[in-house]
Amino acid sequence: MSAILKLDHIAYSYYSDTGEVKVMDNMDFTIENGSFTAIVGPSGCGKSTILSLIAGLLKPTDGFITLYSNDFAAPKIGYMLQHDHLLEWRDIYHNVILGLEIQHKLTNESLALVDELLEKYNLSHTKALLPSELSGGMRQRIALIRTLTLKPDLLLLDEPFSALDYQTRLLVSQDVHRIIKSENKTAILVTHDIAEAISMADHVLLLSKAPCQVKLSIPIEFEKHGISRETVRDSKLFQDYFDLIWGELQNENTEK
Amino acid sequence: MKTPKNKIKANENYSEGQRNFLHRKKLYRISITWGRILFLFSFLLLWQIAADRKWIDSFYFSSPLAILQLFYEKMSSLELPIHISITLMESGISFLLIILLSLIAASCFWYFPALGQMLEPFLILLNSLPKSALAPLIIVWMGTGYPTIILCGISVGLFGCILNLYQTFGQTDPERIKLITTLGGNRLQAFTKVVFPGSIPAFISISKVNIGLALVGVIIGEFLAGRQGLGYLIIYGSQVFQLDLVILSILILCAIAVLLYGIMNLLERKLNR
Repeated sequence: MSAILKLDHIAYSYYSDTGEVKVMDNMDFTIENGSFTAIVGPSGCGKSTILSLIAGLLKPTDGFITLYSNDFAAPKIGYMLQHDHLLEWRDIYHNVILGLEIQHKLTNESLALVDELLEKYNLSHTKALLPSELSGGMRQRIALIRTLTLKPDLLLLDEPFSALDYQTRLLVSQDVHRIIKSENKTAILVTHDIAEAISMADHVLLLSKAPCQVKLSIPIEFEKHGISRETVRDSKLFQDYFDLIWGELQNENTEK
Repeated sequence: MKTPKNKIKANENYSEGQRNFLHRKKLYRISITWGRILFLFSFLLLWQIAADRKWIDSFYFSSPLAILQLFYEKMSSLELPIHISITLMESGISFLLIILLSLIAASCFWYFPALGQMLEPFLILLNSLPKSALAPLIIVWMGTGYPTIILCGISVGLFGCILNLYQTFGQTDPERIKLITTLGGNRLQAFTKVVFPGSIPAFISISKVNIGLALVGVIIGEFLAGRQGLGYLIIYGSQVFQLDLVILSILILCAIAVLLYGIMNLLERKLNR
């Protein structure tokens, strides 16, 4: 597999009246094309900051972020936030095409893709509804489709299920994983939920406390052991991964 | 989905308890409406009796029947409709200009935050100034006539309206603006797609306040610089001791204020639907 993203000695600090806060230092990792990577780490270590840096919303203090593309165009990045942020004054269809509107890409081809995605994921009937008429899970699926309509090469998921209740979360995370895999997208998921990270990702990056670095890179190999993604939570291997990550996180929290 | 069809169906399926609850609620609403009508009617009746029995001096306090008679006369001679339409026209123009200028200013302040922060103290200062104190200056600068009256109308609401709109725009959830950025949008698109549409309910509330303020400003302007309009009628009536005319003009002003507020309420309901 070829790389799509490389973070090379990335450092980031922010400044306030009380002084400089170093969020990350010497952050290095590579993301392969078509992979699903989860980033976990102690609270406040700077997980979401990594996504903001990759998306270009923040500029690194030091280091390089390289995005690779198969063609001459720069790879497109899609970003899914913690909340769905569907706009209440727009119906679902107009929420889905918001990104296309903003990028002036309301072509027949792109609108056909919107219809196709809504149809494929059984959401066509919601087109004329308002966001308030949808459940939390459906809203999050719509938010994902809004991102996918822009045909991103790399999807950044910033704790997209944190606002959902536990049961909805399990169902929606499975659905989102299925959609991302069937659309053959590369994704980076930031989450504080270890079980969610293991059940969705092919690779988990465990971060240290701030200023954060990659402490451990764990390949998640359910497929190699013949375990399907729908049943991973019942497997012994899942528990082993969980214990490994949880142990490392506990060590990280107790270390001074 | 909530459709009228579903509502009818639901009504048919209501239980006895639910029907009783809705009936009690309806009775309560009717009793409140009739209570209001009764209160107003009693007040007018008491006023008329007090004037007839000389408990009050009708030269100073007039009476409902005398006011009604004057209303009929002034309407027949078309004098009152002209004054009313002039006040309405001046208030309408003032209101539209307040809204337009405030929207332009608040949008610029949101788009250029440094400009907003720089000018905010001056706006607060101008907003807290008693606007009637400005009216004589405006007359000296601009003379009498419609432009002066409209400027008086604008001056009462403009600065408060800018401040309120600017604060409303500023309260937009930063995550929503981040959403637009992540979808590839710029600051102008964040404003047109998220900030302004999200502020419409607050914008309607601000407009409801300002339609009343525009009327207040126009009346102040007509007091000082008008030759027509309800404000002029009030001043003229008080100068010639025709207090029937003063009270009639005030009552018409009340009716106009209620009407304008009602129109804004209707607009609000239509937009919220």
